[in-house]
Amino acid sequence: MKSFELVMPKTLDEAIAALPESGQPTERVRVLAGGQDLLGEMKESLVTPERVVNLKTVPGIEGHEPTAEGGLRIGALTRLIDLERDEGLQGSHPMLVEAAAAVATPQIRSMGTLGGNLCQRPRCFYYRNPHSPCLKKGGTECFSYGGLNKYNAILGGGPSYIVHPSDVAPALVSYDAVFTLLGPAGEREVPADSFFTLPSSGEVTRENVLAANEIVTAVTLPAGREAWKATYLKVRERDSFDFALSAVALALKMNGDLIEQARLTLGGVAPKPWRCTSTEELLVGRKIDEETCRLAGEDALRMAEPLEQNGYKVPMTQGLIRRALQALAS
Amino acid sequence: MAVQDSSPTTWGPREDMRLLNADVPRVDGPLKVSGRARYTHDIRLPGMLWGKILCCPYPVAKPTLDFDRAQAVPGVRVVLPIEDGLRDGWTRRLGTPIAAVAADTPEAADDALAALNARYEEGDWAVNYDQAVAPDAPKVHEEGNIRHLQVDGDEAAAQGELDGCDAVVEAIYTLPVQFHACLETHGVVVDYRGEDEATIYASTQGTFTIAADAAQILGLPQNKVTVLVEHMGGGFGAKFGLDVPGRIACLLAKEARAPVHLMLSRADEFHTAGNRSGSTQYMKAGANADGKLKGLVARIWKFGGVNRGANPGQPYIYDVPTSYAEAMSILTHTDGSRAMRAPGHPQASFAIESVVDELAASLGLDPLEFRKKNLASPVYHRQLDRAAKEIGWAAHPNKLGPPAELPDRAVGIGFGVATWGAGGRPTCEVDVRIDQDGSVTSSVGTQDLGTGTRTYVASIVAEELGLPVSAVEPRIGDSRLGASVASGGSVTTPSLAPAVKDAAHKAREALFAELAELLGSNPRNLRAKDGVVFDVEESDKRMNWKEACACLAPAGIEARGTFQRGLAGNGVHGAQAAKVEVDTVTGELRVLKMVCVQDIGLPLNRLATRSQMNGGVIQALSYGLFEERVIDPWLGLGLNNGFEEYRIAGTKDIPEIVSIIDDEDRRDQVLGVGEPVVIPGQSAIANALFNACGVRIRDLPLTRDKIINGLTAL
Ligand SMILES: Cc1cc2nc3c(=O)[nH]c(=O)nc-3n(C[C@H](O)[C@H](O)[C@H](O)COP(=O)(O)OP(=O)(O)OC[C@H]3O[C@@H](n4cnc5c(N)ncnc54)[C@H](O)[C@@H]3O)c2cc1C
Repeated sequence: MKSFELVMPKTLDEAIAALPESGQPTERVRVLAGGQDLLGEMKESLVTPERVVNLKTVPGIEGHEPTAEGGLRIGALTRLIDLERDEGLQGSHPMLVEAAAAVATPQIRSMGTLGGNLCQRPRCFYYRNPHSPCLKKGGTECFSYGGLNKYNAILGGGPSYIVHPSDVAPALVSYDAVFTLLGPAGEREVPADSFFTLPSSGEVTRENVLAANEIVTAVTLPAGREAWKATYLKVRERDSFDFALSAVALALKMNGDLIEQARLTLGGVAPKPWRCTSTEELLVGRKIDEETCRLAGEDALRMAEPLEQNGYKVPMTQGLIRRALQALAS
Repeated sequence: MAVQDSSPTTWGPREDMRLLNADVPRVDGPLKVSGRARYTHDIRLPGMLWGKILCCPYPVAKPTLDFDRAQAVPGVRVVLPIEDGLRDGWTRRLGTPIAAVAADTPEAADDALAALNARYEEGDWAVNYDQAVAPDAPKVHEEGNIRHLQVDGDEAAAQGELDGCDAVVEAIYTLPVQFHACLETHGVVVDYRGEDEATIYASTQGTFTIAADAAQILGLPQNKVTVLVEHMGGGFGAKFGLDVPGRIACLLAKEARAPVHLMLSRADEFHTAGNRSGSTQYMKAGANADGKLKGLVARIWKFGGVNRGANPGQPYIYDVPTSYAEAMSILTHTDGSRAMRAPGHPQASFAIESVVDELAASLGLDPLEFRKKNLASPVYHRQLDRAAKEIGWAAHPNKLGPPAELPDRAVGIGFGVATWGAGGRPTCEVDVRIDQDGSVTSSVGTQDLGTGTRTYVASIVAEELGLPVSAVEPRIGDSRLGASVASGGSVTTPSLAPAVKDAAHKAREALFAELAELLGSNPRNLRAKDGVVFDVEESDKRMNWKEACACLAPAGIEARGTFQRGLAGNGVHGAQAAKVEVDTVTGELRVLKMVCVQDIGLPLNRLATRSQMNGGVIQALSYGLFEERVIDPWLGLGLNNGFEEYRIAGTKDIPEIVSIIDDEDRRDQVLGVGEPVVIPGQSAIANALFNACGVRIRDLPLTRDKIINGLTAL
């Protein structure tokens, strides 16, 4: 690992001051939260920052509190295990709890944070191999496209075909969460769905709109979601710990046995948490029955363009959507 | 005193045993679970340097390295080019070591590797079948990439037999390359300071396989090199001899005249420390409606990288009257295969157990009964019946396959059988010492791979002398002690245990001879039990252990034992059953239960034996469900070089395991158990998957993508 300067800020202002002046992408500085992703990247020399800014020394950015509007504001440094074990959240926001609990292992969850989970880098074979100069690392080619792409994107791919690795992100998108970003010019609020970018629309070496001189400080869930039914389901190759082959974050506002509003976001299938807006509309006014399950699955994957080895993600995701709908029906 | 008595011819009646054929916790268990056991990785010596190796990430490449820059890194002592893996400056397999460094700290060693600033000119390579057999394929071996053709049987006769069969199945079965995945990587610590002796701490399966080569590199006589193997973190067949890290560590230590610690990184472990060869097997098998196998034509391709790979041949265990099998090795520019826990057998098992299952299904026959019809040995019949009983076969509703309408969660059961030699051989020399104060030592140079060797080196002696296990100190893992075999082929226990028994027996006889004189007893009437030596005929003639030993001459008793053929057996069977649940909506496969039934003659330690069985089941399950080396054929890079992407089973993947020692095996002999138990698990799981949902997967691992694709195609 390359030697680096470790900055231990006492306040958010000090943290921001330790970041680059400009928001332009840079390798020079990285913020450190739980370190569960960043340290691995540094050991593999995927990033070689000169300065690492440790957010754990800044007090007050963990835990959660109700907002004036009746929502819930969760600090970015909150550990995943604290979300998972929070009895209040288990009752009010089960989809978030399920998503947090689906991440990695208890050891990693007891270090890993919410903000780190959302800002973690992709796991694609070619990105993680230090010797492959792939597009994500500033190279010229996405090797997964014509290479080994079993784990890659079936939706929203091109020119890079990574899948977004976070389990928590799809759940936050389906909760219509808003992220608070802090930079030299102050705070800005970005809806979860607009925080994440596609390689075709954003910078191909990044997965979100965060500037190099910004940090995520909080995630706010809007009011009223306690009344929705919601679940996060994930298929992984190995149950003990693994990233998603496919995941579904489904939230439904029911009126009797009719769906009044829906949020459906897919994980593990696209370079960002994949919101299925048309499927959400299709679900409105329907009962959860066999036909609804089938139609929702078909619609959500309508745009899928599998690569050579990942066509299986289509029926698998459709199966998960069915399972999620059935789970919320009972 | 010197001992010259007769050797034992029996282990004695099982009914009389207290410590053998019983559950004895491992003597080193507390050390291991508390982290106090010292592995090679943990060795720290004064003045020790940290050695590291740079391996070429490409299969065929010409590296250019900046040695001066590496040498200039602060804290770096030695930088060496490693050229024995190069041909005219080119590597010939992925993972070839090309340079090594020794530095004051691991960080400085890493910096030095980075400072080498390796640049690679990439050549042409062949890393998979298609690349290796292409007409213009780059040659791995001068004589070509298709090598070592072996032929067994008459193809025309087998084909003729198949033509007359009621059912014929023709299919190709594929198994990937599997890593040994030892939790402790390969490596040594060489304690050499430029003087006239050296000590080598080694993570090895053979205490006695290291000194000769190390001595040669260090320029020392072999008797000045001591090898120590206090604890070792797994070998599975990949850790014999000084090996690549050992040779390089000796070179570095010699150059630096200082101790060197060199353990492979995980990525290097995966690509330069061996693997289980991959396999593709074409099988065309036929049977008649009565359930008798008639004929088989098999073609076997072994993928052992630059080595040959392994496969014991087909029809493996099954009785097929007319069979033909040909086998060949396909060479590739990848790390060579090595022995791995039952080399070749899991591969052979998967192909034959699958085709047998497919034939049973196509004839509409019960797969369990079908197996029994085609396995001659009654041992397999009783073991399969036992496995079937434990797994719940009788009550299983879908013996002939899944129902037409699949449930959301489908349950299936599958079977497989095993065979192994696991016999003993002469080599071992064990010394049992009884001191005047009653302390007892049992010494032999053997290594303990984590299987319980250290425990029976003590418990056999304790049994013989009527003492608790804790009263005998086992000393192992030291090349200055008595000779022992290397641990391969499940031979350690059948080779070593008889010698331990022999030494214990002789020590006891010597003790009794002394005491008989003192007590005025006939030595044949003396017994040692519960810490007391007594005369069975005159009950007043008794001494407790300490009193008895106090009568010995100051030198105590020293007895040497050697291999006793009659105490070791040869040849084991084994049957396993798997019960799985398939989520037919998402393609998720979960193993619910595994049953392992194994004959092993006399179980020296039932607890350790079951633990070996559990370990075998887990390793086979992991192979069946997850494990697979992935190399990008175009970039030539290994893509799953760590435990994140190279998946091995974790706690949540491991089902209920019922390990049953087949006590109907009454042989008065010990056998090894490490290997047979790893053979049929993945086959049983694949068959259970089919039985659950009708999806037949012919290429391992049984991953979710294949299952959901299979379900979609039904
Ligand atoms: C073996 C293994 C398995 C894993 N499995 C999963 C899984 O199944 N699902 C899953 O979702 N994840 C998984 N992860 C990924 C990840 O490590 C964890 O999800 C964890 O939450 C990351 O959080 P952290 O706080 O440790 O992040 P860090 O490693 O500290 O940071 C990750 C990245 O985010 C940036 N960052 C961190 N905090 C902030 C912030 N507040 N503002 C701006 N940028 C920030 C860092 O600069 C860095 O680039 C796994 C990781 C490993 C090693």
